[in-house]
Amino acid sequence: MPDINEKVAQLENFIMKKCLWQFHSRAWDRKRQNENILGMTAKLLCGEEVDTSKPEDKCYWVDASYLAENYRERFDWFSTMSNDEIKELMQALRERIDFVTVDGSLNEELKDPRY
Amino acid sequence: MPYHEFDCSKCIPERKKHAVVKGPEDDLTKALPLGYLNTIPGSISERGCAYCGAKHVIGTPMKDVIHISHGPTGCTYDTWQTKRYISDNDNFQLKRTFATDVKEKHIVFGAEKLLKENIIEAFRAFPEIKRMTIYQTCATALIGDDIDAIAQEVMDEMPDVDIFVCNSPGFGGPSQSGGHHKINIAWINQKVGNVEPVITSDYVINYVGEYNIQGDQEIMLDFFRRMGIQVLSTFTGNGSYDELRSMHRAHLNVLECARSAEYICNELRVRYGIPRLDIDGFGFEPLASSLRKVGRFFGIEERAEKIIEEESARWKPELDWYKERLTGKKICLWPGGSKLWHWANVIHEEMGLDVVSVYTKFGHQGDMEKGIARCEVGALAIDDPNELEGLEAMYKLKPDIILTGKRPGEVAKKIRVPYLNAHAYHNGPYKGFEGWVRFARDIYNAIYSPIHQLSYLDISKDEIPDDGGFKTQRMYSDATLPEAVKTSSAMREYTGKYDIIAELRKREYPEFNKKQ
Repeated sequence: MPDINEKVAQLENFIMKKCLWQFHSRAWDRKRQNENILGMTAKLLCGEEVDTSKPEDKCYWVDASYLAENYRERFDWFSTMSNDEIKELMQALRERIDFVTVDGSLNEELKDPRY
Repeated sequence: MPYHEFDCSKCIPERKKHAVVKGPEDDLTKALPLGYLNTIPGSISERGCAYCGAKHVIGTPMKDVIHISHGPTGCTYDTWQTKRYISDNDNFQLKRTFATDVKEKHIVFGAEKLLKENIIEAFRAFPEIKRMTIYQTCATALIGDDIDAIAQEVMDEMPDVDIFVCNSPGFGGPSQSGGHHKINIAWINQKVGNVEPVITSDYVINYVGEYNIQGDQEIMLDFFRRMGIQVLSTFTGNGSYDELRSMHRAHLNVLECARSAEYICNELRVRYGIPRLDIDGFGFEPLASSLRKVGRFFGIEERAEKIIEEESARWKPELDWYKERLTGKKICLWPGGSKLWHWANVIHEEMGLDVVSVYTKFGHQGDMEKGIARCEVGALAIDDPNELEGLEAMYKLKPDIILTGKRPGEVAKKIRVPYLNAHAYHNGPYKGFEGWVRFARDIYNAIYSPIHQLSYLDISKDEIPDDGGFKTQRMYSDATLPEAVKTSSAMREYTGKYDIIAELRKREYPEFNKKQ
């Protein structure tokens, strides 16, 4: 069973190889994407309901549900985790993705105030 | 930072921060080159200009439009022979290119009168076309010609025409990408919201950042139509001017090339609340996921699943045939801004190719983030390479093929590296399931071309064999394959037709009742 850092690395690798939503063009966009998509993914992995009544939320949910399905399919260890453990893991993932794509990013365009 | 310094660029020290090697322990906070900056003096860049990025990449794929450059005829160079964004109206916008033919005397005395004469002459020559785009160029921007005023004069005199003005002269940005940005913002400011569309489906999208290279857009349009989705507009390949004025009525923006068109998606989200969904149209698995996501957004995922099942069953055995023969071959992925990240992972996973380098001439750091994240460890990532750096990289990395544009591609040929045209394609379309097989077929044909094999011999020193006869691609590609693979009946070469777009244009689609 991998430890939490190894799990985060595996989940991060999947996002980096298969997803595009984490690379919107500005820092505030990226934070918003990370918060909403990873937040919804955590809920879905824990079997909780998500609100998709607004088009924006439905779009987040589309990416989040893709992620949750693939995580469950590819990483067996999810089935042995409690909801609290999943939430802790997803919070660690969120912090890692925030760091790689925003806070620690070398992309100088992220701070541009306009699109 | 794992910067890579080219021997040929040691005399331009600023270039060092424009190339990195992705190391085993590196993430994007450690390995990312600079990007989207002015070209460094002394580095002979191969970039396009901001005018080119606006007109030749984004504006001109619009099909029912007279596209006119206000400047010298040379600015209209890119047309039928270099661009392949076809359209279903007999390629009107590609076959005919217009310029006001500005000369030195106009630089001295002004070219506004000349512009007006040209606009009217063009509309009279093609009376069935009522839409026009006009592009500022360096020369007419410098003399201060007021294109907006002239366009308005003409629209006042000819009320049945509509004109879009794009002020993106060549010098208006570090590269063509500056022009992408300008035309995105100009279009939404000037034109979006001006036309109310007829809505025929409960599921309405704009398909954004897709330029119909050899029919890519028509392949994707086919999938969307089979799902009962109304594609209100395509920005801009095979797109219609008036449909693009009605983008504000879509339920979802499906974005393909974020490099060239994320700006308009972002603005549509801010101004009209239309969400942005980034997708990959290349490769079986990414395309399947993309269709599922679009279907899921509208609650019609089962329609996507049906397409994925049919297409995969038909084409996967052919993709596998090529994968067996391409696995382990080294590739330099040197296309434009978005294809490097669309392809960086899937070309490795689904064709077995090892990406040893990614580069972009005009991409931003955001594109490099995506590209480096998706490629494997050891890849050399280069921003805005000059020709000498490209050559040095090829000598060092010894790729089996490079995917790039026709100009750097010809350079590669000179040092006997096969190249495939990643911009305009060789035998596209490359999108869609069948398209991805065509792409694999073209890569296979390039790597194993008997002519290229002959070119590896140097007639000035090598012994030229004269007893082997002519060899085929298959003889080269299958030489080391296991017998079970060579004779497998589960895999086959590409069996599609030469032209796969003509039939699509005649296709009839199922009717799905509109609920609302």
